[in-house]
Amino acid sequence: MPEGVPANSGYMVAAYIVAAVILVGYALLLARRSGKL
Amino acid sequence: MTLAQQGRAWTWAGLILLAGVYVRALAFTPMERFQGPAQKIFYVHVPSAWSAMLAMGIVGFASILYLLMKDARFDRFAAASAQVGTAFSLVMLTTGPIWARPIWGVWWTWDARLTLTLFLFFLFVGYQLLRGAVTDESLRARYSAVLGICGLVLLPFIHLSVYLFRTLHPQPIVLKPSAPSLPGSMLLTLLVSFGVFTILYVGFVLQAYAVLAARDAANA
Repeated sequence: MPEGVPANSGYMVAAYIVAAVILVGYALLLARRSGKL
Repeated sequence: MTLAQQGRAWTWAGLILLAGVYVRALAFTPMERFQGPAQKIFYVHVPSAWSAMLAMGIVGFASILYLLMKDARFDRFAAASAQVGTAFSLVMLTTGPIWARPIWGVWWTWDARLTLTLFLFFLFVGYQLLRGAVTDESLRARYSAVLGICGLVLLPFIHLSVYLFRTLHPQPIVLKPSAPSLPGSMLLTLLVSFGVFTILYVGFVLQAYAVLAARDAANA
């Protein structure tokens, strides 16, 4: 990390994980509901 | 290929491309010097806000078309878009505070932009609660359409809230009258992410519409 840049990568990782969990979870839910259609 | 199968194809394509956006944002997009790595939340937060607002815009326009033409397909399309909008607004409302904490020092503040986007989320949830509470199909469609149009009216206020009120939330850096104010590589990552979130929106809506259509057909 270059000098002077804030060390806050934990927040970035958390946000990317949360977004992926919501979107993939919703995709799986819809795939299950629409599975036989 | 059925509508649901098309929706699943769009969705899986969108998820694979989303992984590509993650790789591009994390490994191939420069880090902003003052905010550090947390600034990269931008590439999921802003496109999710775009998709949530796109979803509510389509709920509103489909609702207007339903009231004009009384075609149940518009009502179903609005309902599908509202379901999907709930998911995107949840992404927006979770990634926003995670970004705000290291930059603003607080998870949440009751300023105009944040409060209005929370209200948008409540409108999505309320829309679905309303649909679940009214059993008569015609009444349900009419009441939902009115709520959907209220959501459409809210959208310009959300976009303009950063100009109309003093707020911690930054002003638009892409959707504004002058040129986008960020470097080309960051802008490209953002635009790619916009495209991927739009593909996901299409995939989700096609599937949700297919499920609602099958449910309506079963109840008829």
